[in-house]
Amino acid sequence: MGNAKQLYYDVEKCLGCRSCEIACAVAHSISRDLFKALQEEALSLPRKRVLGASGKNYPVSCRHCKDPKCVDACMAQALVYDKEKSQVIHDETRCVGCWMCVMVCPYGAIRPNKKTKIPLRCDKCKDKDEPACVAACPTGAIIYIEEEELAKK
Amino acid sequence: MKQFVIIGNSAAGIAAIEAIRNKDKESKIVVCSDEDYRSYCRCLISYYLAGEVKEDGILYRSESFYRENNIELLLNKKVIRIDPKKNRVLCLDRSQIDYDSLLIATGSRPKFPDIQGIKKEHVFGFRTIKDAKVIEGLLPVTKTICVLGAGLIGLKAAYALRKRNIEVKVIIKSKQILSQMLDADSAGLIQKKMEENGIDLVFGQDVVEIIGNGDIKAVKLDSNKVLGCSMVIVGKGVQPNTQLAQETDIKIGEGIITDNFLRTSCPNIYAAGDVAESFDITLGTLSINALWPIAVEQGKIAGANMAGDKLNYEGSLGMNAIEFFGLAAVSLGIYKTKDGETGYEELKFLDSKSGIYKKLILKDNCLVGAILAGDIRNSGVFLRLIREKVNASSLKDKLLAENFAYPDIMGLVKERERLYV
Repeated sequence: MGNAKQLYYDVEKCLGCRSCEIACAVAHSISRDLFKALQEEALSLPRKRVLGASGKNYPVSCRHCKDPKCVDACMAQALVYDKEKSQVIHDETRCVGCWMCVMVCPYGAIRPNKKTKIPLRCDKCKDKDEPACVAACPTGAIIYIEEEELAKK
Repeated sequence: MKQFVIIGNSAAGIAAIEAIRNKDKESKIVVCSDEDYRSYCRCLISYYLAGEVKEDGILYRSESFYRENNIELLLNKKVIRIDPKKNRVLCLDRSQIDYDSLLIATGSRPKFPDIQGIKKEHVFGFRTIKDAKVIEGLLPVTKTICVLGAGLIGLKAAYALRKRNIEVKVIIKSKQILSQMLDADSAGLIQKKMEENGIDLVFGQDVVEIIGNGDIKAVKLDSNKVLGCSMVIVGKGVQPNTQLAQETDIKIGEGIITDNFLRTSCPNIYAAGDVAESFDITLGTLSINALWPIAVEQGKIAGANMAGDKLNYEGSLGMNAIEFFGLAAVSLGIYKTKDGETGYEELKFLDSKSGIYKKLILKDNCLVGAILAGDIRNSGVFLRLIREKVNASSLKDKLLAENFAYPDIMGLVKERERLYV
């Protein structure tokens, strides 16, 4: 059973600057460069949103739930839960944009991309050592760590 | 070692296999399917017909799935009788299979109206890969198709056919499309999209006869109007395949009645998916909510319980997500109130310029239903409020706001937040 790193957020430190959103969009663009990414035909959109509630800022993105409702709901088998990586894997080539995952996500963490017809969801920057949002956060509010390690802190 | 028999090889059946194997790697599992095709994504047949998905894209689970899980898969195996006293099923080919525990996941079938000509060769339901393939094979010699009914299946067929440049006429008895999931306002938005894209919607009329000697020539409406076509697709809803239970003591209502463990009235027989009638959270009564995600959820729980768990099924609610020609919509729970019904509160938002419509229905300050069209973000958050019966009094001025999202409900839901530290 995987005990991979997950994204946690220190809400007291989050300023709502949205640097993580920009870094996410750039990391998922074709060029992976901010200025070139802005010229790309299909504008790369962030898979993470920083949302305000009761005076605080909360970055919202896929949590890679251990019992993912989106995987059960996926009628195209585009979503699979990878136990080793503790991660929901989204095979975009199988996705038909039926929006069942958007309908059932208890965190509203999956957004429809109206242009591509493919939902936007965090992939933890796939094979990179850490997601792009982590390094982009100027206050260190985004923590990438194993659950057990976090508990020790 | 036990022997599990599963009748049905789609969403609920496959989910049950996985749940059983999660607990029990040894026992024998036999799966009977009356289709001649390994498990596939049934809901994707319209995408296949539209040409948007190829055949390998609709296959569900890999080819090695049954071998890896040590499943005896019997295709083309129609079960014709269940004998609960002998714990045995009888098949059309006269073979018999014993079981310790049985899952009925036989799904549903299209309802065909009782009209003259309905048995003609080119009248189709739109339910199986076979339906899609036969229809596709006829497209080169087809100019016009009439679709009966404007439910989701009818409209998905209409959409797919239009994408293939077929002239499509949808005959609708009522004055509204998708009346099982949308109100008049949201249906109007989808209707506009369909009409703009060349689908002909004929309202307030019903088909009384399918005309033609041998080949279909036309359909005749109750207004006496005759519409020419060479094929008819019937999308007038589905009915649960309860036939196997009918000759037994297993209790049937609209579907096969299940308890909170998804057991039927016969203790070692379970039911899941489109055939199962189970508790509906928003209605507070038994109901059938025939939807892929719900079938998977039920199959998972039924399978685990067959293998010895005692998982409680909290129930389902009517819901669906759709998209036609770029307009997405989600319907949840009680999506419209009947005339004269009191005790409900409606919150509405309409921006006709951007084509966004949202309606929320509350009862005793709890959300019981919603329609979201044009902007379906956070529909899962609304679903959660409905499922958990969250008191939403403090949220009323936020629910329809552009930036309403999970952080707004964080402190109100059951689960303790653990990501925000």
